[in-house]
Amino acid sequence: MIEVVQIEKAYRKFQAVRGISFEVRPGEVYGLLGPNGAGKTTTLRMLATLLKPTAGSARVAGFDVARQSLEARRNLGIVNGGMKVYDKLTGYEVLDFFGSFYDLWGAKLKERIGWAAELLHIEQAVLNKQVKDMSTGMQQKIVIARAILHQPQVLLLDEATAGLDVFARRALLDFVKQYASLGKTLVYSTHVMSEAEEVCNRVGFIHQGSLVYEGPLQEALELGSGNLERAFIRRLKEAA
Amino acid sequence: MNEILIIARKELLSVVRERRVLLTTLLLPMLMMPLAMFGPLLLLGNAARQTQENVQQVGVVGVPAPVLAHLRKAKVEPVAVANPQEAVQKREVAAALVYAEGQYTLYGRLSRGTTQSALVVEKVQGALQAYKEELVAERLRARGLGTELLEPFRLETKDASPQEEQAAGVFAFLIPYFLVMFIQLGGMSVAVDATAGEKEKGTLEALLAAPVPLTQVLLGKGLAVFVMSLLAAMAAITGLLLGSSVFRNLFAVQLQALQREDRPVQLGGALALEPLGYLAVALTSVLFALLIIAILISLGLYARSYKEAQSYMSPLSLVMIIPLLFLQFSDFLKLQDWYFALPLINVLLALDAIVRGSATATQLGLTWLSTLAFGGLALYLAYRNFQREDVVFRN
Repeated sequence: MIEVVQIEKAYRKFQAVRGISFEVRPGEVYGLLGPNGAGKTTTLRMLATLLKPTAGSARVAGFDVARQSLEARRNLGIVNGGMKVYDKLTGYEVLDFFGSFYDLWGAKLKERIGWAAELLHIEQAVLNKQVKDMSTGMQQKIVIARAILHQPQVLLLDEATAGLDVFARRALLDFVKQYASLGKTLVYSTHVMSEAEEVCNRVGFIHQGSLVYEGPLQEALELGSGNLERAFIRRLKEAA
Repeated sequence: MNEILIIARKELLSVVRERRVLLTTLLLPMLMMPLAMFGPLLLLGNAARQTQENVQQVGVVGVPAPVLAHLRKAKVEPVAVANPQEAVQKREVAAALVYAEGQYTLYGRLSRGTTQSALVVEKVQGALQAYKEELVAERLRARGLGTELLEPFRLETKDASPQEEQAAGVFAFLIPYFLVMFIQLGGMSVAVDATAGEKEKGTLEALLAAPVPLTQVLLGKGLAVFVMSLLAAMAAITGLLLGSSVFRNLFAVQLQALQREDRPVQLGGALALEPLGYLAVALTSVLFALLIIAILISLGLYARSYKEAQSYMSPLSLVMIIPLLFLQFSDFLKLQDWYFALPLINVLLALDAIVRGSATATQLGLTWLSTLAFGGLALYLAYRNFQREDVVFRN
């Protein structure tokens, strides 16, 4: 469902992503792990068609991200830690706004909002509140609901737990597992190894724009004697 | 098209929920226009009336008794001063009059235009003029002559300016400036919120990830800014039409008191156009709004934050002041047709000409075509800006 082949992104003299390749199949949660500034956000933004790759190619749900960006966008959702939704709108208005771009209207929209609200444990009363009056965790749930309203085949999560309290974080991790169980394809980017250990099936270690390791979670754990963080540090040292 | 309307609706919904923006965009222009056109005049009129009615102290040095009597008659209290210039500077007296060797010298604080001192100087001048006329009449009588000798013919001056210009009033030159200012200010808050505001709040990325072409996102935001700009302009015109009518009726006596007897003019500023004139104002405003929103959105997209966007956009208001200064003296300038091809300046010149009823088809045609061309170019640049990753993710 996601195919990335030798993708690169350069900003003038700075090479943010250097020839990364990986694949993610339906039902899989792929952990893109790396420290801040490693190139995770840039990679996910390229997959979400927000940035154009300077070399290589990527296909999301069968669509080329550079040449078929609109089709790709119809089949993906993206959430990142810094992403917010319109604070003067109510939760329902936000979902109505984004839903209309995916031809979700009237009864169909209501049904989808109900589905997303149930999946993310959002109460109906909360949807009638303006976003600015919601807790941070609830705001993040609205951000996620917006991203999954059209039930995308591919969901990209970039540091999605940043700034969340323990309850909201737990709810998000549970949601990731549940969404993958629906046969969806997820990329979960984080620098928190314990989260990746819990939700990912396969992982890729990214460092200074290069993918220095890629494999099943179990194999990565073995590399670090049962500890993903140790495996990550070891692989990074070897790559250096 | 549908996406454009959806995005515009969302932007406008956010504005409607922000009472502060509604107040500054709609209520302020409605109140500001009549206040700016008539407020200072009425204040000045009131101050002038009070100065006429009340008694002010005037320093005198060597002034003969008959003149002192005339001064008192003109409601001025003469007081002896040692140094007349210093007494005026220190505001001990409103003006000072010195008589020496057949010459009167009158001191007043005149460098700031219409001050109380200037009005008292006029009172003293009036008193001296009355005394002078009395002396002349006396001397003519002594020679067996009448005062009609001094008036061999009568002169009457009549205002021959177009009806629109007469009705517009002496502050008409301010109308174009306020109109373009409110179009800009009306759009600015929405433009900032829809561009740099979205970046700062972190909402832009979610919108750009939706399956909507960039052109439609841009046009949707532009449409919202356009609506607010035009609403602000309409509020300003409504305020001007209603306000001028209310002020001219409610304060008719006060405004009449400010008239010059020899050359009565319509005071304040108002719009009194033929239907085609209003249509021309509307078309010029719409085209200007198109140009200005493209500039505002371009600047807003480039900025990282609200503050940065406002600092880029605010100088635009200052730029508008420069042509306004020229508009005051537009009657002394020979307006060349090519002036109406200059961006921004042409809109002010065209609106001024429409308000005065002197606009020609060439001037209006040039203004509309060039504004449309510059607006299209600005919109294209805004689109190019929106395509640039280093601009969109510059936060």
